[in-house]
Amino acid sequence: MRTYIAKRLLLIIPTLLGAATLVFLIMRVIPGDVALLILGGDQGQIDQKQLDAMRRQLGLDQPLLVQFGTWLWGVVRFDFGKSLWTGQPVTEELLIRLPLSLQLAFMATMVSVMISIPLGMLAAVRQDSWVDYLIRVISIGGLAIPGFWVGILCILFLVIFFGWGPPLEFTPLWVNPWANFQIMVWPVLTVGYRYAAVTTRMTRSTVLEVLREDYIRTAWAKGLQGRAVVIRHALKNSMLPVITLIGTEFAFLIGGLVVTETVFTLNGVGRFVVDAVAHRDYPVVQALIFLIAFSFVIVNLLVDLTYAWFDPRIRYR
Amino acid sequence: MAARRRHRALLTVVALAVLVGSVMAAVAVDAAETPRRGGVLLAVIGADAPSLDPHQESTFATMQPVAPLYSTLLQIDPYSYPSIIGDVASEWTISPDGLTYTFKIRPGIRFHDGSPLTAADVKATYDKIIFPPTGVRSIRQSFYSAVASVEARDPSTVVFKLKSPSASLLSGLASPWNVIFPKKYLDKDPNYFKNNVVGSGPFKFKSYTRGSTFEGERNPDYFVKDRPYLDGYKFFVSTETSVRAAAIRSGRAYIEFRDLPNSEVEAIKKQLGDKVVVQTTPFVIQFGIAINNTVKPFTDVRVRKALTLGIDRYTGGKVLYNLTGLKDPGAHTRPGTEWAIPPAELEKFPGFWRDAEKSRAEAKRLLAEAGYPNGFKVVLKNRNIKLPYQDWAVYVIQEWRKIGIEAEHRPLETATWYADGRDQGNFELMIFPAGAYIDDPDQLLYQYITGSPQNWGRFSNPAIDDLYSRQSRALDPAERRKLVIEMQKLILDNAYHMPGLWWSRNVVHWAKVKNWIAPPSHFTNQKLQDVWLSED
Repeated sequence: MRTYIAKRLLLIIPTLLGAATLVFLIMRVIPGDVALLILGGDQGQIDQKQLDAMRRQLGLDQPLLVQFGTWLWGVVRFDFGKSLWTGQPVTEELLIRLPLSLQLAFMATMVSVMISIPLGMLAAVRQDSWVDYLIRVISIGGLAIPGFWVGILCILFLVIFFGWGPPLEFTPLWVNPWANFQIMVWPVLTVGYRYAAVTTRMTRSTVLEVLREDYIRTAWAKGLQGRAVVIRHALKNSMLPVITLIGTEFAFLIGGLVVTETVFTLNGVGRFVVDAVAHRDYPVVQALIFLIAFSFVIVNLLVDLTYAWFDPRIRYR
Repeated sequence: MAARRRHRALLTVVALAVLVGSVMAAVAVDAAETPRRGGVLLAVIGADAPSLDPHQESTFATMQPVAPLYSTLLQIDPYSYPSIIGDVASEWTISPDGLTYTFKIRPGIRFHDGSPLTAADVKATYDKIIFPPTGVRSIRQSFYSAVASVEARDPSTVVFKLKSPSASLLSGLASPWNVIFPKKYLDKDPNYFKNNVVGSGPFKFKSYTRGSTFEGERNPDYFVKDRPYLDGYKFFVSTETSVRAAAIRSGRAYIEFRDLPNSEVEAIKKQLGDKVVVQTTPFVIQFGIAINNTVKPFTDVRVRKALTLGIDRYTGGKVLYNLTGLKDPGAHTRPGTEWAIPPAELEKFPGFWRDAEKSRAEAKRLLAEAGYPNGFKVVLKNRNIKLPYQDWAVYVIQEWRKIGIEAEHRPLETATWYADGRDQGNFELMIFPAGAYIDDPDQLLYQYITGSPQNWGRFSNPAIDDLYSRQSRALDPAERRKLVIEMQKLILDNAYHMPGLWWSRNVVHWAKVKNWIAPPSHFTNQKLQDVWLSED
């Protein structure tokens, strides 16, 4: 197992290198010059000398290979450079936003798991009953209805009927838990609902498949209680695809919630990525894509290790 | 006799009651108008500042949060737009030949670090704006091309010497973007203020969390006595319009200084009634269409005229107003101002005829004459922002369809929109907003002269250039007005550019926010020094 983990950790390096190279090239291929953007704004009158000076200042006059090498060397030292737009260290900008995104991702995952696994199991066990249909309708709703729309409706409902709106500023959990709860509960429920919808359907499908297995029939034949059959035997054996899904969704949540963050005025990583792309802020985009790729790789590793716990037949070498 | 006594007593009681009531009412009115000290003004804003240096930015996202922290040499009178009054300057004189402007600086002004504000700081600030060092951007530099030098004659006197008379210098010096920086920081690093604040304004910088909040606190040493009234202000960044509207509705924020669409304003009014106030003002911004005059078929004036004739601006103003705030048809200066072509004359120009059917018939005739009897296909590029860019484009496209022009709407991300429009001319037609912080012809007409970076249409007409130059130097307002109108007529005659509709804005705020008047620009009157809250 240790050898397997070491191998997987080593494999992270070429994976991240590939992701970094790809995003570096893509950012430089898309139209739009960050120097012009910075100088121009809405009413710019740009002088060519100013433009050249700005490009030199931003390091954009260097050959692409040099720019890439400089950036990569910085990454090795955990120095992602400075934002071309704000001039602030990228690490600092990230540290402002990462705790919020991580908290949102974690809490939404917890909510989703707490809702989806019991509901998915219940729907499978009561297949084709009104309980099953109700759960399926709710989960299809979660898949079909855009999350941002639910979010906006949520806020409007609170504002119109209670004259209350969520706070506009994020307060960390350790500073003021109640203020943190007030701002986070709504996006967590919105994101968690959509996330739970996906996981509920997956749980229902996999549990249904497992319930048809011979060993489950044997368990019933032996006279085991329903709870023992479903939870001890069926659930554990149906969790592998569900865990994969939960892992993938969690990694996506870290940088993929730009619309939710916009609706709930959350200063998270998602909005930061979109703004950085719009501004052609190469160091920020590169750092964020790197971070997101890293999250996916780590989460995939953790998911694979979790497989071994759920299924003793799986042994890694 | 007894009845008469009772009658007299009754009259006395009534008279006393009326007297007491009047006094109480007078006291109540007086109490309501007396500014109350204290409280923090909470505002929402739709974007985050790219940097904190107004000299280098042009977005409200910078101006609104930092304006209360700084002073300027002159300012637009918040209560009497567009009059110019002093801010740091207490008085000024202009030489008879119009080439020397001498300003006296108020004594006793201090920056927030305690150092005194002198003429040297004003000079250093304007040197940075007008004669920026290499590597420092100054995006309004060309508006001061008439300035030959700025001198600090003594600590309280600053002198601007001009190469030629300038009709716009005072309004240029009243620009809210030209905040006064301390010279000592500029000497060390001209880009210091991109991320730092040392001003002399009514508020001091407190904190800034990018993408989230910006806070200022009261400056107890402000040079205007007994100001500001507020203890501080705080901006919350929220890019989604409906979320900002919800913040106002819930009272999490008291004001949104830029604009909310009519639909949101009506909903807020319906829910909150008298608790909110809506100030509707015109905006010094118009949305038109840039035509690339260098590509066919737009090299042909008949085609350009046909395009502009094809848009019924009067109906557009009615249809789009509730959705977008776009309202008034007008040429290149704001309708209703002294610089606008009078409506009766404007209606003679293509695109402004009152009879829409007659306009369309003429458009089709011109197209046929130019060799396009069945119209043609074209790409209309746009910025990827809904309000009002995309709504304006949708209206224009359906209007053109009526004259046989099939326009494909192509929204672009902001960076690409600038790249294609301003930088490379990689477009046929482009949605194009034009505006300024004040109704000044130098600012509004700059984009129509040869070689201007804002001349996205890439046209050149020496007569237009000459008129611009002459109006810029015309110190006689009547003469200047004549030249400004003549210049606009020449642009319209040749249809080099299609002006569209002028914008108006709705500023909604809680009624407890007192003494703030919405100007026609979201860049001005943002110092908040006279604003107060009637309750927390």
